[in-house]
Parts: sequence; C-alpha cells; structure tokens
Amino acid sequence: MLQQDSNDDTEDVALFDAEEETTNRPKKSKIRHPVASFFHLFFRVSAIIVYLLCELFSSSFIACMVTIILLLSCDFWAVKNVTGRLMVGLRWWNHIDEDGKSHWVFESRKASSQESKTVSEAESRIFWLGLIACPVLWVVFAFSALFSFRVKWLAVVVMGVVLQGANLYGYIRCKVGSRKNLTSMATSYLGKQFLRQTTGDGQPS
Amino acid sequence: MAEAAESPGDPGTATPRPLMRDLKAVGKKFMHVLYPRKSNTLLRDWDLWGPLILCVTLALMLQRGSVDSEKDGGPQFAEVFVIVWFGAVTITLNSKLLGGNISFFQSLCVLGYCILPLTVAMLVCRLVLLAELGPINFMVRLFVVIVMFAWSIVASTAFLADSQPPNRKALAVYPVFLFYFVISWMILTFTPQ
Repeated sequence: MLQQDSNDDTEDVALFDAEEETTNRPKKSKIRHPVASFFHLFFRVSAIIVYLLCELFSSSFIACMVTIILLLSCDFWAVKNVTGRLMVGLRWWNHIDEDGKSHWVFESRKASSQESKTVSEAESRIFWLGLIACPVLWVVFAFSALFSFRVKWLAVVVMGVVLQGANLYGYIRCKVGSRKNLTSMATSYLGKQFLRQTTGDGQPS
Repeated sequence: MAEAAESPGDPGTATPRPLMRDLKAVGKKFMHVLYPRKSNTLLRDWDLWGPLILCVTLALMLQRGSVDSEKDGGPQFAEVFVIVWFGAVTITLNSKLLGGNISFFQSLCVLGYCILPLTVAMLVCRLVLLAELGPINFMVRLFVVIVMFAWSIVASTAFLADSQPPNRKALAVYPVFLFYFVISWMILTFTPQ
C-alpha cells in the first residue's frame, strides 16, 4: 500500500515538472516572510474595515477616527520601512545633503544568484495587490464622502489617500527605476507570454 | 522621511529599518524644541511623526462635549486637524514663494514640532480648568498660553529664519506668528461644557 502511494507521488511530481517547464517554480512560491506579509495586509485592511463598520461598532466618532489614524500611520511606517524591503527588495527615502538640498532616492535590490535574495513570487503578488488595491479604495471613499456630504470623515479619508498613495508612488518609482529597466521588463514579459501561447497551442491537452 | 542614517547601496534594500531609531529621533527633536539651540537636527533629519502625534493630542484635548452627548466633538476634532495642517502648508508655500531655500517637508516638520509648547499649555490649561472658574483661573491660563506662545515663536524662528533671504525675514515670520496665535486662541478660549 505504502509503496503504491509513493509511486503515485513520484508520478505526480514528474507531471507537475513537465507542465511547468521550470524546476524552481515551487521554491519561488514559498512565502519567506510570513509575519511581514501578514502585517503588510493587516494594517491596511483593518483601517478600511474600521472605516466601513465604525458606525456599527462604536457611537464615538472620535474613537473611530483616532483608531483609523493610528492604523494608517502604522501601515505607512511598516510598508515603507519593513515590508517593501523584505518582500520585494525596494526602498525609497529622502536624503538631505550638506547644502540643505533634498533628494528623493529610489532603489531596488539588484538580482543576484543567491537563493536567499531572490524575490518570491507569492510575496511579490501579495505586496503589489495590497499596495494597489487599498489606495484605490480610499479614493473611492473620498468621492463617496464628498458626494454624500459626510464631510466630517473627509479629513481621515484624505489622510488615507495621501499616506497610501505616497507609498504606492514611491514603490512604483523604485520598480520603474530607469527607462532601460522598464523596456527590458516589458519585452521579456511579452516574450514569455508569446512563447507560452505558441508552446501551449502546440502541445495536445 | 529623511533618513540620515540610511546609506545608498544594496544591503539597505534588504534590511528593515529599526523602529527604535525612528522613535529616538522623534524624542530627540522634541528635546530640541524645548531647548532651542542653533542646530540642524530638525532640518536635516526631518520627519512628520512628531507633528502627527502633537496634532492628534491637541485635537483630543480640545474636545468639547460630555461623554453622553450624541453629537460628540467630531467636527472640532477634524477642525483642529485642518487648521494645523492647512495652516502649516500655507506658511510653507508662502516661504517658498518668498524665495526661501528650505524644502517643503522640512518646513512642515519645524512648524509641526514647534506646536509642542502649545500642547503643553493645553495640558496645563485643562488641569487648571479643573479648579473653579473665575478671573484668577483665567489670568493663570492667559499667562501660561502667552509664555508658551512666545516659546513656540522663538523655537520656530530659530530654525526657519536662516533659510529666508535677509530682507524678507519679517514677511516670512509673520504668518508663523498668525498660525501660532490662532492655535493659542483656540486653547485659551476652550471651556469644557
């Protein structure tokens, strides 16, 4: 019985590898920093949930507002200083030099052959999903607060848009980096898609 | 946020920034506001966490209304926020238009941190208001607010004045005066009813 099971296992693995065409795909989809991934999403999503449900939970507008401000601040600090660096290897910051001029620096980690330094795909997906979806939601909330005349919430919503929008802008600039990187990224992505389509059509399903 | 201890290069993009360093930086800036000296700390390593904390504290303390009223002080909370941040942004734009060579966020940082004396004044006023109201009570509060207002002005001009061209210093400083005056007025006229 056990031997049959192990035979089945090896057969499954072989099929899996043949379909994927690469052997290191399983390694890249591991989440290497579960705590960072959790907190990346936790603060953003809780801020949105508190905003939506505050009227149900507590009759105090002040308590909700302070809670949301606290969550937005923690989220800004965590995403800018911790999760971006651990999960996708990007960093953005401001530097004031000797003359008092301020420079904004956007850096991205160079791709290296070491296993421990490559970016995991699952983490990258989680990171960008959280980074893009939440500011969009806050912009939607801003319009809804404006048009439904719940203006007292506007201060908090604007703060949400500004803080999360700042992180989004910073990380997109890090990612885009130089013009050369953008075009090479685009061509390699399109190339991969094209290849996948042609080989996919060629193989019998 | 300005990160003087950050250095460009690859290792930094993999290691998270320590929280204690940021907290210590905020504390150090509070000290610099309380004992203003000619130093560049507020300007070089700017951050906006201190102003945020002070703004929230001030807004919480300026709440009118008792716990069991239905319309609890929501609008006043947002009002304080808007006055502080909109006022600071306006002063910054004004100083930039006058030709000052200070960056946007540095100016916001200085103006925000220099609200600390007025926040302390608010705390003292709230304690004084626990005693019975009367002319003596008002005089004490007035004295405290005037002293702290002067302290805020001195602290902020110590940091901001150098960045202005010499013939425009007064033009750049008077909006700061107005800004702290409005906040002091809000503090002085506060009565918890």
